[in-house]
Amino acid sequence: MEIKAQNIDHKDIFYPPGGILLWIIIILELITFGLGIGGLVYYGKLEPELFHQSRIQLNTSIGTLNTLILLVSGYFMANTVLKLKSGAIESAKKYLVWTMLGGLLFVGLKSYEYVEKLTGDLYMGDNMFFTFYWLMTGFHLAHVLVGLVILVFSWWQIKTRPRSLQVTDLESGAAFWHMCDLIWLLLFPSLYLIF
Amino acid sequence: MEKKNLLILFILIGMTQVSAFLGVFNLGVVNYLTWLVMGLAAVKFFLVAFVFMELRKAHFFWKFATVLIGLLVVVVVGFWA
Repeated sequence: MEIKAQNIDHKDIFYPPGGILLWIIIILELITFGLGIGGLVYYGKLEPELFHQSRIQLNTSIGTLNTLILLVSGYFMANTVLKLKSGAIESAKKYLVWTMLGGLLFVGLKSYEYVEKLTGDLYMGDNMFFTFYWLMTGFHLAHVLVGLVILVFSWWQIKTRPRSLQVTDLESGAAFWHMCDLIWLLLFPSLYLIF
Repeated sequence: MEKKNLLILFILIGMTQVSAFLGVFNLGVVNYLTWLVMGLAAVKFFLVAFVFMELRKAHFFWKFATVLIGLLVVVVVGFWA
């Protein structure tokens, strides 16, 4: 069983791995979240004690565990693309399933963290720190959910129509998934560790 | 290539553990620890982008844009927090 491989020169500015449209999205998303983090530290400077007291109410262990889960999931995703490029479709499918399981675990743990915060009466409107916390982690979670939908679609395509699958399709999904990693790698220390 | 990815994963996990440990301290007061934590975050950011995302294969423009944004966020947090 073979998949469609394309000879693309990624050194061409119009063909980055994953496609130019996705990379435009990635750059815009990184800028958006970067501005959010900038806002967070700006307001943190205005009210350092409030931000410190709020930050220590976050569960750093869950934040750390979620970081590790996303990193491992990203590793599986990278291997999925590698295997698909080498034509090992069964291995690629296996790695893709592990990637999705990592994503689901992240969503489950994040939901648990949210429930913990809500039962502890820590809402979005409580103070500026929690406004940033809910908005930024919420938007990030929305990206993870969209990423999961893309991965499920890719998995379904590999399973049912492997001949119609192109490596670039999966590379785009992989790039989106890794973008969630990149955003979280900046969010985690800014929200859970710094203040 | 798979072995390289696995090695990078172990490095990423190690750096995350170090960051989490440093988070025990009040980083807002000890400024150099803030820089250390954000420096680790930057290294992790670049490793994921260049190795897992295969950004190393891309045109210089995409590498430059990604590195610039990552560094800007780290520097802004390092200076302000």
